[in-house]
Amino acid sequence: MFSDYAALIVLLPVIAFVLTLFLGKKLYSGGALLPIAAIAGSFIISLGIFFEIYPDGMVRQSLPWFANFNIGILIDPLAIVMLLMVTFVSLLIHIYAVGYMSHDPAKPRYFAETSLFTAAMLGVVLSDNILQFFISWELVGLCSFLLIGFWYHKPSAAAAAKKAFLVTRVGDVLFLAGIVLLYVNINEIIASGRFSVVPGNFLLQFSTMFEAAKLIDPTQLTYITLLFFGGAVGKSGQFPLHGWLPDAMEGPTTVSALIHAATMVTAGVYLVARTFPMFAATPGTFVPGVPDSLLVVAYIGGFTALFAATMGLVMNDIKRVLAYSTVSQLGYMMLALGTAGAVAGANAVGISMFHLIGHAFFKALLFLCAGSVIHAVGTNDIREMGGLFGKMKITAITMFIAALSLAGIGIPLAGLRLPIFNIGTTGFFSKDAIIEEAYAYGFERGDYIPYAFAVIAALLTSIYIFRLWFMAFTGKPRSERHPHESPGVMTRPLMILAVFALFFGFTQPAFYSYVSASFDFVMGPAYEGGGIEPPVIVVLLPVIVGVLGFLISYAIYYKRMLDMSKIISSGNPLYKLLLNRYYEPTIGANIIGVKLTHDVAAQSGEFVDRKIIDGLVIDTIIGKTTFFLGEAARKLQTGVVQNYASVTLLGVGLLLILLKLGGGV
Amino acid sequence: MTAYISLMIAIPLIGALIAFLTKTREQARVVALVSSGISLLISLIMLSRFDTSFTGIQLDEIHSWIPSLGITLSFGVDGIGMPLVLLSTIVIPLTVIFAWGETKEPNKFYGLILLELTGVLGVFTSLDFFVFYIFWEIVLIPMYFLISIWGGPRKDYAAIKFFIYTHIASLVMLLAIFALYFNAWQITRTPDFNMFHLLKNYPLLEGWLIPNVITIKDAIFIGLLFGFIVKMPAVPFHTWLPDAHVEAPTAGSVILAALLLKMGGYGLFRVIVPLLPFSDSPGKMITLLAIIGVLSILYGTFLALAQRDLKKMVAYSSISHMGYVTLGAAALVPLSVSGAMFQQFSHGLITGVLFMSCGVIQHSAGTRIIGDLGGIAKHMPKLTFVMLAGFLASLGLPGMSGFIAELLILINSYANLPTFVILALFGIVFTAGYHLWAMQRAVFGTFNEKLGHIHDGADYEIASMAVLVLLIIFFGLYPNPVLNMMTATATPLVRDAAGLVGVIV
Repeated sequence: MFSDYAALIVLLPVIAFVLTLFLGKKLYSGGALLPIAAIAGSFIISLGIFFEIYPDGMVRQSLPWFANFNIGILIDPLAIVMLLMVTFVSLLIHIYAVGYMSHDPAKPRYFAETSLFTAAMLGVVLSDNILQFFISWELVGLCSFLLIGFWYHKPSAAAAAKKAFLVTRVGDVLFLAGIVLLYVNINEIIASGRFSVVPGNFLLQFSTMFEAAKLIDPTQLTYITLLFFGGAVGKSGQFPLHGWLPDAMEGPTTVSALIHAATMVTAGVYLVARTFPMFAATPGTFVPGVPDSLLVVAYIGGFTALFAATMGLVMNDIKRVLAYSTVSQLGYMMLALGTAGAVAGANAVGISMFHLIGHAFFKALLFLCAGSVIHAVGTNDIREMGGLFGKMKITAITMFIAALSLAGIGIPLAGLRLPIFNIGTTGFFSKDAIIEEAYAYGFERGDYIPYAFAVIAALLTSIYIFRLWFMAFTGKPRSERHPHESPGVMTRPLMILAVFALFFGFTQPAFYSYVSASFDFVMGPAYEGGGIEPPVIVVLLPVIVGVLGFLISYAIYYKRMLDMSKIISSGNPLYKLLLNRYYEPTIGANIIGVKLTHDVAAQSGEFVDRKIIDGLVIDTIIGKTTFFLGEAARKLQTGVVQNYASVTLLGVGLLLILLKLGGGV
Repeated sequence: MTAYISLMIAIPLIGALIAFLTKTREQARVVALVSSGISLLISLIMLSRFDTSFTGIQLDEIHSWIPSLGITLSFGVDGIGMPLVLLSTIVIPLTVIFAWGETKEPNKFYGLILLELTGVLGVFTSLDFFVFYIFWEIVLIPMYFLISIWGGPRKDYAAIKFFIYTHIASLVMLLAIFALYFNAWQITRTPDFNMFHLLKNYPLLEGWLIPNVITIKDAIFIGLLFGFIVKMPAVPFHTWLPDAHVEAPTAGSVILAALLLKMGGYGLFRVIVPLLPFSDSPGKMITLLAIIGVLSILYGTFLALAQRDLKKMVAYSSISHMGYVTLGAAALVPLSVSGAMFQQFSHGLITGVLFMSCGVIQHSAGTRIIGDLGGIAKHMPKLTFVMLAGFLASLGLPGMSGFIAELLILINSYANLPTFVILALFGIVFTAGYHLWAMQRAVFGTFNEKLGHIHDGADYEIASMAVLVLLIIFFGLYPNPVLNMMTATATPLVRDAAGLVGVIV
């Protein structure tokens, strides 16, 4: 019954967007109520569908659209878990925003845009074809542009919004190129008679794509999937298109929470997961048995996980630390798809999605806690915070829970061959599984580099997140403000998210088997487990580095056993490199954006236009002609129009002469 | 036989004459709105009578004119003409509404706008090559006056440049038309200017124009092509456009970009695509078209990036977007060609919003220089809203009409012109770049206090832009009403071209 209303999952927030945008101020609570109700409605429908289709059903609806494309809905296990997460987390963030945005005069616009943002993300999730997926994906990009630039009168916000749109656009173009290439290849195998679209299905539907992928030239398939992955790199902030994400916190903190947890950045990972059978079908030319595209996904993901974590260590803006954390954690999700995909087939989808959803809970929590802190102290700089624990107990405790989850703290009892289940935070279940899969990949394929990335990044993760926590909540207050705990409308969502950050991990076995079965119809049933029983040290290592990171931060930032400023001077080249974010903003904006594009390419075009085409060719002609016309006009004492008339008459006269010659008339 | 088309063409012509004779602004603008409104009504009736499943000319009518030369007043529409008729009758009334506040010689101003409507409708519906050419030339005159009377400081230079450029192109096209005409005469021994008859006889032509250099067929083809691509305009024959736009009044710019440029694209579909397979070197011609198309896309994009004047930037964006039309036409695949037709329709709507935005900003802030603006969103929220929508449409945001067109062109052209499509894709990022850069600098950020007190657009200005935005979104979500008729016509149009590919692929 709920399945019949699946389209409402997207339509409700869209309707809320339109109504709130145009009626905003006239609506109850300054426009907040309608979007919240709409997203709650989407959540309820999603939940209803989940209970209807669990454990092995799915929803498919489709209508023809234009040309040979369709518009449709596909809700399979992969989609439904995303739907539940997106609607649930987005709902909590919206409720929190009632408090957080209460004083902003543009509140209706805020809620209208976040409502559309959520709708666009939901559109991505339940698309049944890659074109509709792309369209929703672009609308997600639009909404992020609008929301990052929400305070558009701030130049930095306007610049960050533009950067977000343009950098992700680079990825989007690659994605679009992938769609073009896919379309051409499918048409080619249709034209050669080897493939036909099932009647009632459409060319770019996922089911058609997966069947076609088995017949498409393998090299072409590698190109297609890598171009798709290019889109994912842009959207999910993977190296080298990661730079927009840390700048994206120019918007309200609640927007950051939406972008980093529920919407937008997870879309890239979801794209790879959604088209996983195509990635898995690419040939393995570099490492035998490892599909090329998955290898690229694994390496980019692993590298990004480590690379972003190094920058997280030195940032002083509370939101920027969290932003790099997101980039890093998205790297883990990609790493999972790549490495586990190579050794455990479609199980990789379950493993990666589990971290995606777990991360959504604790990252939303981290951002909302950061928002609560910023709301209270009026600054983003953790150096100006300190000693907040006593004043903001709920925020402090829930943020500590989120940090534990991010650091992956837990006790791997089952992993130690004990007859009990594991106990730990959500991040412990989701991330440690990824690290173990990276090990399994290394063990089976003899390539331990992704594993090394993952382990070192885990240590850094733990260090930077507890550094943040200790600096914000412990020690002496370093500002003049008198902070107080946020109102209930803000703290209650924190508590709910904290529950999920702590306990969602226990759903791990059921989640894995449910979501990994999404592609059984095309890839056959995924085999259970990673194939090998990892040694005890491998099982313990992620937890050891997590605890080690905590202890390091505890020692430095709580006990003050070391004064970092004495060890690392501000002139230290490594420190400078990290603080300047590996000079990515300089290279991206100044060199590529301004120097190469604007100063060189555009200006030389302008030169050609003005000086060569116009200067040498046209103005000479026009100069001569106007002179001639002017002279003639002066003689005839008429204007240009009379000349025009005479030219036209000349034309007609010419015609008559030609006709005469031709023998007519 | 119906008389919708001749009525639709005649009413704005009569309206124009009445408008010229009116004494007050009030009378002139009401006449303009009513007569263009009636044309819109007629085109909507035509749309409802239009049979999408029929691929040929329909709603046709024929009146004898000069029998001795075989010239008739014959009109009709198919999937190429009908959408452009609709576009013209939508854009002109909205332009009249937008220019509701015109004070300088309003009777002439509104009269000339109506004359433009007559001209473009004639071009899009004439089935007689001679009459087609007359309408083609008629369009020039009111635009020349719109620029030279209501234009900016360098209006004389711009007007004369516009005039010379397009007139030379027209004359070359006229020669080619005559050549076609005489050729047909040689064969059939009956004078006949019917466009389809002339095109049908083209394959029978033979011989050299200049021995061993260029054949008669190729010369005719290039002559016609030249006439059309200068109008579009395509690089390198484009430099008249930015100058014309910079100096033209807003209404003139809207008509120029939304309708006059479409005449060039119309010519591509009506004349060039059917002739192409029968020219003596189709491969080279396809390559030529593809190069022109992609060059226009990329060159227009980079030039747009270099502009400081918002309106000039928009002008270059037109060149870039019209490049897609050429590219899609050159690919000769049914859906790439109908995508190119849709791009014409879509660009007409989008560019209207963009030029209107420039007009409102110029009027309110007194400048269009991007660097001198800044933060105007604060005082112009309504304008910001519609302008942002127009800019997003222009950069190809899905959900808006431009995306559908560009997607269809790119995705369907790749099979025949892969290299060119990859190059065109490359431009997309930069297209987004200049649009957002301009919005960020001119509209968002801190308000530039030097601008003093600025006010939002007038309600009639915002309203006409909002209507265009709604249409852009409507056709972006549901393109079928016009796309289906385009595809129906495009499919037989490229049948003769099956198997043709460019030289460089």
